[in-house]
Amino acid sequence: MDVLTWKIGGEAGFGILTTGLSFSKIAASFGYSIFDYIEYPSLIRGGHNNYEVVFSSKESGALKETIDYLVCLNKDTYELHKHRLVKGSLVIFDPKDNSSVAYEQAVPIPFQEILDRSQGSPVMKNTIALGASLALMCDDISTLFGMIEKQFSNKGKEIIEKNQYFAKQGFDYVKTHAPSKVKPIFTEKSEQEQYVLSGNDAFSLSSVIADCRLYAAYPMTPSSSVLATLASWEEKTGMVVRHSEDEIAVINTALGASFAGVRSAVGTSGGGFALMVESVSLAGITELPLVIFMAQRAGPATGMPTWTEQADLLFTVFSGHGEFPKIVLAPGDQEEMLELTGKAYNLADIYQTPVFVLSDMYLSESHASIPKKRLEAFISTYRVNRGKTVEKPSGLPHLRYKDSPDGISERLIPGYPGVFYQANSYEHSADGHTSEKGEDRVEQVQKRNRKTETYLANHFSAPKVYGDFDTADVVFVSWGSLKGVVNRAQILLAQSGKKSAHIHFTHVFPLDKEKVRKLFEAKKRYILVEQNSQAQFGQLLTMSTGVAIHEKILKFNGRPLLPEEITSYVEKINE
Amino acid sequence: MNNNVQIFTGCNPTWCPGCGNHSIIGGLKSSLVQLNLTPSDIRIVFGIGCSGNMNDFLNAYAVHSLHGRAIPTGIGIKLAQHKAPVIVIAGDGDCYGEGGNHFMHACRGNHDIKVFIHNNGVYGLTTGQASPTAQHGYVSKSTPKGIIEQPLNPLSLAITQGATFVAQTFTGDVDHMASIFGRAIHHRGFSLVNILQPCVTFNKINTFAYYQKNSYKIPSSYDAKNYEMSLKMASELNSFKFPLGVVYETERPTYTDQISHLKTKELVCRKPYAGYGELMKEFL
Repeated sequence: MDVLTWKIGGEAGFGILTTGLSFSKIAASFGYSIFDYIEYPSLIRGGHNNYEVVFSSKESGALKETIDYLVCLNKDTYELHKHRLVKGSLVIFDPKDNSSVAYEQAVPIPFQEILDRSQGSPVMKNTIALGASLALMCDDISTLFGMIEKQFSNKGKEIIEKNQYFAKQGFDYVKTHAPSKVKPIFTEKSEQEQYVLSGNDAFSLSSVIADCRLYAAYPMTPSSSVLATLASWEEKTGMVVRHSEDEIAVINTALGASFAGVRSAVGTSGGGFALMVESVSLAGITELPLVIFMAQRAGPATGMPTWTEQADLLFTVFSGHGEFPKIVLAPGDQEEMLELTGKAYNLADIYQTPVFVLSDMYLSESHASIPKKRLEAFISTYRVNRGKTVEKPSGLPHLRYKDSPDGISERLIPGYPGVFYQANSYEHSADGHTSEKGEDRVEQVQKRNRKTETYLANHFSAPKVYGDFDTADVVFVSWGSLKGVVNRAQILLAQSGKKSAHIHFTHVFPLDKEKVRKLFEAKKRYILVEQNSQAQFGQLLTMSTGVAIHEKILKFNGRPLLPEEITSYVEKINE
Repeated sequence: MNNNVQIFTGCNPTWCPGCGNHSIIGGLKSSLVQLNLTPSDIRIVFGIGCSGNMNDFLNAYAVHSLHGRAIPTGIGIKLAQHKAPVIVIAGDGDCYGEGGNHFMHACRGNHDIKVFIHNNGVYGLTTGQASPTAQHGYVSKSTPKGIIEQPLNPLSLAITQGATFVAQTFTGDVDHMASIFGRAIHHRGFSLVNILQPCVTFNKINTFAYYQKNSYKIPSSYDAKNYEMSLKMASELNSFKFPLGVVYETERPTYTDQISHLKTKELVCRKPYAGYGELMKEFL
């Protein structure tokens, strides 16, 4: 088996998202690498919600064009997604809703009849569907029973048993009425446990690991679940999680806490970030560490709140008035989200400046499996590095903004007796006092700018190259959440004999000119791949390194790019 | 104690001669000395404007923040170091205008920060445009035909939104200021001190003489714990009468009092959390 897609759809507000996640976790428990994706309109009730899970025995980090198992909780689901069905696909549906499913694809289950017979509530249709789905893939329902028990553990025995009953109804119905459609896919439970995390989960978990002690936010899709997750952990972790009155309060509260010595972060999306921008500049001049989690969605303004886009790269890179250092990291997947979030907190402390973790809806809300060993390895190797932050000054007087060869000054946590200083939003002299003297200005501007040079020398990571660069005919260039999509396209291209490489950037700003340029000197067909309309990374690359990529695949309809869209472009358009 | 006001003295003030800010800093220093505090004990957030320029004249662990944003910055400091006194120094345009939303919500949260507003009815540092507390009809560079809006009433706004200490004082009486500042710092919870501070350069209406004529000391018989009475007294501002003293004072748990994990240690001091294993169970 290469890659399979299971997809469930139905009306918003009826538990599709929970059911989808259960399927992801079940597939992961059977040792598959999973990747899922959620589609929902910006509504609480009504509208079409759907959730697809891609699972593979190899690494999977992208969606695929065709659907192997389509679960229709209403008629719309079939109509909206039937174009993705192929020979061999199976469709689970209620024959009451629909009579047009092809015979060889049909797995009819009388959901409504089963519910009516045993007084089930409409949400339990999901449970029947999950039972039926598993029946098509395995002979053992105990994994699903265990999942239900965990999922409803705080709702009491009665609810657990009722759900298990309906799961079994779906499971048995398939075993009785459609035994010929069963394929042994979920056969053996994996010995190696896997975690299933969304990008937002990964940011949240890594923030705890990195000893972030204050997280402030104002809810905004697709960043909101970080606020909910960290708030639900608050009493255990001891983190202060604050939902302030607006994004301006959010960032200034975080900066206040940062000044007072605690690792702090904020999370938002484009519109909320727009409100924070003045204080990004404040963090720059006061030299306060701050991690900003920026989960992009389709803009401008309110845009398409629940859809994906990579169109706030340049906005983030150029946010804030005046000149100051800034670091922007864009993880390629959930595992890189863990790693780079941890790194972001260290970089913020080391460089005493704002550091961004740039995500998007596709990365933030999609889940991926991460083997337990790899997650534990990250935790055991991660070290908090607070740079030049001290509890006791190394000498007196404590000059907060003292010039230094690396541009970084000692930062004393307020409270040490006999000392005081101010973090000043005005230009200042080395001791923090306001100064408009030309020589102070030049010294402080150069000091702050020097931090960028130090970062490029010490912490910038050159892009990773996937595939064999030397033999490649085509070289893709992408950044952030497109990592898995392009990597999957490479596999598909290889199957048709096309050799490719993929230069993937996670450290998107600032860029080291020399290290990056080297990768663009070969006589190759370079193709830039981005989810925006203006090739924003391409512009940044040109500005920072002089490299210009002329061939581009740009997608900006809010839907995630599919690997097949890349392969068909490459195959259709010959250079 | 060997404390004296000199330990708080930073650079020489650059305010206009005769500006009320000179007496505000004097009153503030003497209240800090009376409370036995040193510059290392206190956290101050300064807004932007003539008031905020006190940053260079007063010694403390301080942030000179952005226009309008001193309150949320102060809240952040309080969350990290809730045992330290946090003072916010800002102006009327800064706190009641640009930062009005923060002001309102800080009252609600009863964040234990002390907000001292230098209220002169104008934007002094940008040469005298009308502020949100300027009297109706006030003529300035930005309102040449007189300001259309009614003035904002900070006292009634603070009381109705949940502030637990609301007072007013006047720069013409340094001792009164020092005593009100002291009481505000001593109070546990959100404290507003609205300081009537004539701008000698730009405001020719609300002058020293004007406030001397229209203000009065709240009598000792007044019960500041009476909510209805305090609202009535606060509304006197609407008819240009200015009571001086504590208008409202009550007790309510502060924001950090209600965060159970801040009961024992300050956020900045606690040990890092290491029980990730338990959190990770959610992801299996």
